[in-house]
Formats: sequence, C-alpha cells, structure tokens
Amino acid sequence: MASIPLRALGKTNVQVSALGMGGHHLGDAKDEKTAVQLVHDAVDGGITFFDNCWEYHLGKSEEWLGKGLKGRRDKAFLMTKVCTHGRDSGLAMRMLEESLRRLQTDHLDLWQIHGVTFDNDPELFARKGGAAEALTLAKKQGKVRFVGFTGHKDPDIHLKMLQTNYPFDAVQMPLNAFDGTFRSFETKVLPELQRRGIGALGMKPFSGHGEPVMKGVTTPEETLRYAMSLPVATTITGMEKPEVLKQNLAIAQGFQPMSEAEMGALRERCATYGDGRFELYKTSIKYDNPEARMAHGFPVDMQSKETQEMLKATKNDGKPFQE
Amino acid sequence: MRHTRRHFVQGLGVAGAGMLMDTASAQGAIPKRPLGKTGLQVSALGVGGYHIGTTETDDEANRIVAEAIDAGINFFDNAWEYHDGKSETRMGNALKGKRDQVVLMTKVCTHGRKKDVAMRMLEESLKRLQTDHLDIWQVHEVVYDNDPDLIFAKDGAIEALDQAKQQGKVRFVGFTGHKDPAIHLKMLSHNYAFDTVQMPLNCFDASYRSFETQVLPELSKRGIAPLGMKSMSGSGEGVRNGAVTAAEALRYAMSLPVAVTISGMESLEVLHQNLEVARGFQAMNATELTALRNRVRLYATDGRFELFKSTKKYDGALGRELHGFPTPEQLPA
Repeated sequence: MASIPLRALGKTNVQVSALGMGGHHLGDAKDEKTAVQLVHDAVDGGITFFDNCWEYHLGKSEEWLGKGLKGRRDKAFLMTKVCTHGRDSGLAMRMLEESLRRLQTDHLDLWQIHGVTFDNDPELFARKGGAAEALTLAKKQGKVRFVGFTGHKDPDIHLKMLQTNYPFDAVQMPLNAFDGTFRSFETKVLPELQRRGIGALGMKPFSGHGEPVMKGVTTPEETLRYAMSLPVATTITGMEKPEVLKQNLAIAQGFQPMSEAEMGALRERCATYGDGRFELYKTSIKYDNPEARMAHGFPVDMQSKETQEMLKATKNDGKPFQE
Repeated sequence: MRHTRRHFVQGLGVAGAGMLMDTASAQGAIPKRPLGKTGLQVSALGVGGYHIGTTETDDEANRIVAEAIDAGINFFDNAWEYHDGKSETRMGNALKGKRDQVVLMTKVCTHGRKKDVAMRMLEESLKRLQTDHLDIWQVHEVVYDNDPDLIFAKDGAIEALDQAKQQGKVRFVGFTGHKDPAIHLKMLSHNYAFDTVQMPLNCFDASYRSFETQVLPELSKRGIAPLGMKSMSGSGEGVRNGAVTAAEALRYAMSLPVAVTISGMESLEVLHQNLEVARGFQAMNATELTALRNRVRLYATDGRFELFKSTKKYDGALGRELHGFPTPEQLPA
C-alpha cells in the first residue's frame, strides 16, 4: 500500500498528510462506535491531519474525535476552531478549555478562528478585546502550537483578515475546480499565502455535500485530485461513512498530482456553472451555523440540522446526544 | 408652514452626483424629478408592484393605486413574475382609465434565457396591464454573477429590449437587481444605452456592498436615471428591530440623487405612512445623511438588514430554478 504524501505546513516545520479528516462529518457518523472506527482507520491509512470545531454538533464531533484519538494523540496533528463570530477573547478562552476537555488533550496543534464569513468579521477579530488576543494568549500559555482562521464565503474577507497582519500560521478555505473561476480563493488568496509562507488548508473539495458528484457533473476522483493538486498543505474533507473514507484513501495513497493541462480543462468544464450553484457556502447562508447567525443578528433556519440540535439541547435533559 | 426647497431646480436636465432636482411648487405636494435623459418627470415616491399582489383584497389594491395617484404619485413598478401575474393583473385593473396619468414600468424575467422568451413575456405583461405600451421595461433580478454574460449573449435578453423599443411597445429600458454592485457595474460595462437602472438604496447600503457609493455616481455620470428600492430593507427588518424609524429610512433613500424611490405598500396604512414623508418632502442634508449612516453602521456592516445582498432569501423561485439553485423551501436563505 502506497502512503499518503506528507507536506510542509507553511513555515511551521511540521509535516501533515495531504488528505485531512473533516470534523463536521465525523459527527454525522451513524454512531459513536462508527466514528471511533473511522478515526482509527484514518490513522492506519496514513491520515495525520484532523480537523474539528467547537460548534460542530454542539460538541459531539470533538467528543467523538477525542475518543477516536485516545492512545493515538501523538500520531495526529490536531486542529479545532473557536466560534467567537465577532465576540470577545474571554469567550474564546472559555471555548478553548471546553475543546481541550472534549478532545482529551492538553494542547492543540492548531487553533483557528471559525467561520470568518461576515464582511465585518475581520474588524471584530482585530479590535481591542477581540479574538486575536485569545490566539496570542493561548499560544503563550502553551495550549496551542499554531493559530489560523477559516471561512467559506468570500476571498475578499480572507484578504481583509490577512491585512490585519496578525501572524497566522495557517489559513483554511474552500478549494475546488468550481472555485477556480468563481469568487476564487485559488486565484486571490492562495498566492498571497504562498508569498507570506502561511500554511494553506483546502476544504470543500466536493462542494460541501458532494452536489456536483451527485449530479454527475464531476467524478469523485477528479474532484478530489484537483483540490489536492493545488499548492496546499492538506485537503480537508468530510468522511462520515467507511465507504467514503475508503474511496478517499484510495485516491490519496500514492497520489499523483494533475497536470496543469488537466486542471485547466476541469476548471473550464466547471466554469459553465458561473452562477455559484455548486458553491452554496459562497452564495447562500446555508453553511453559516446558527451560532454565527445569532451572533450577527441573522435569521436562523428552523429546519436545519444544527438548529434542531440546538433546540433539542435546550430541553436540558442531561442526555444531550441521545437518539 | 411653507417648506423651503434647498434643491429647487427648474427645467429638465441630468442630475449631477449628489444633487436632487425636486420640482414641487404646491405646498405639500410630492416632488417630481427628471427621469434621467428621458424627458419624463416622475414622482419622488413610486408604488412597488410586488406588494400590490400581497394586499388582502383586490379592492384594497384598487384603493391604494387610486389614492396614490390622487396624492401625486405617477410611478408604478411591476414585474412579470410577481405572484404569477397577479400583481400585473391587479395593477392593470386598478389603472383602468388612468393609464395616461402614470409612468408604467414592468420587468422581464428571462433569468439568462433568450430573446424570444422575453418577447412572449412582454405580450403577457401588456395584456395583464391592459395597455399597448410600457413606459419602462427592465430586465428583472440581475443577481447571479453570470447574468450579465447571459443577458448580453447573442440572442439574449438585451436584443429583446432593442426590438421592443423599435416596435414602439416600450419607450425606455433598464435593468434591476438587489445583490451586488459589482454585477451592476458588469452590466454597465457593456455600454448599452440603458435609460434606467434600479437598485437597493437605504441607510445600511452605504456601509455594506454599497450601490450608493459604487453604482450611483456612475449613473449620474452617464445620465441614466437611478431608481431606488428597498428603502426599508426589503421587509422592514431594520425598522422592526428598532435600528431606524420608517420615516427616517424612507427620507434617507429619497434624499439620494435618484429619480424615484419605489416602495412596497401592501395596505392603505403603509401608503399613508409613506405619503406623510413624501408630501412636501424635505431632503436630508449631507450632515444628516452622514449622521444616520454612522448611527446604523454597526448593524450595517455584516448585512443583517440587507438580506437581499447577504442571503438567498430575496432571490425568486424562477431565477433559482433557471440557475440550478435549490428552491426557496429547500434553501430559505
């Protein structure tokens, strides 16, 4: 079995696997046992990069990953994200303690600001008392090794974050063949990260929920290969089922990057959909969690799974994730 | 009390940037303004067509239109797709015998489709509106990044605008959209001879993906008539929240250098509330405009009160379908 290539994470002197396991989908696994097994199989398959977030499934994703990595923590590069959504550094530090507890670890390898998706998020991040201060403090306390941010909305918001000149180690963004020609992180943000030596983390290679693959517009292999062929440290993707993990491991093990010509051809094919129908995280607020919407005074979608989970949690029966 | 008119300017002409051209000599009348270079004069407040389709009864729609005309409103907005034609049908009935008193606009809903679709829609609109011509015909809901490419493609909607004008079925043409000033600028980059351009203009807009700062000056430069809409955030979100009052929201929008501010009025009560601002309208001065912009800036900069820009909520079902997006039920915002 060929192994998954390892790549340098920016200037950190750390190497991470070119394929990373997404935390949101881990919480979508059938049950805890499945999730733990998925993590074990991922580690055995050569994945070292594990993504997560304080707000995914109200903590369930972090808890399940913590259980999956028990005894394997030193084999993983562990990342989670903090969900201030413009709120202050004190809240961020409280979220950090919760994340560490759920993940059963005393430190994170990478801690990122989650969901930088509203136009004024950079301003709120950098303000006095804002989340930037928490990143610095957590690093100083030795609770996190590296820091970064993520967002799925607009390359201009990412550039605004970079213009704060905060010393980010990593930056996460959607990267796929549709992005190549639509409000493009690939053309606007990626070169800037390379220039600064910041580790680039790709996400949403399958457009969020695999929409183009399900509609027969692209194949799973070309979709993932395109994303992994970009100059990124890792491509984070959600794998909630053993078959999806198996499919992606097969592509990543012994990975051969696409040629420039192949990438250009796929981009061109995807450019037909120049209205953003396959990048709903950019063109709608579907992917903006209730936590983010409420902090910004946006309407919450009562039908969404995340909102339903929140409502269920307010019943406070002491058994938060029972089905 | 006699209102003083700081911006009183006689005659026709092209409004320069930041300059209003209100003409209303009678006390308490709604000012009239030139519609770009068309030679038409329109009332500074216009009746929005979407909300005519949401009034409880046909009778109330008739009364809103009749009272609006009596009060001096002569600008009437509509669109082929509003309530599956109900808005146009109601307005057609309400304007019976009054057609020559108004500047009548409706919009064509190709959403990227070809000229022939547009021409069929025009015939349907004329029939529903019970008229042989439109004063203004606009391309509706230019909100997807690739809409300008599709509209200006060979056999695209722009050719329908030309043809309809040649046939004398429409006098003037334009386009509208609520999403992004960059898309409007892309439309303008084709240098097509639009007579009117419609866009959201309100006190939040200036601090968030701003049509006021990015598109309005360009229109003034070209002599294209700007039509403002969504003065109350689309559904009064900013008003309900208490960020602004309805009166100051409308006054702000009407104080910008636009020909008309189109406002949805689904009840007589809302019409009366708007008339109170529009009658003997006093424009805010530059200091007042800046003060209001600054006051609401905190709420403006994440787009929470401009959901038509920041979410899918205001993107119509037909446009979504033709662009391969989920339905409003599947994707509310």
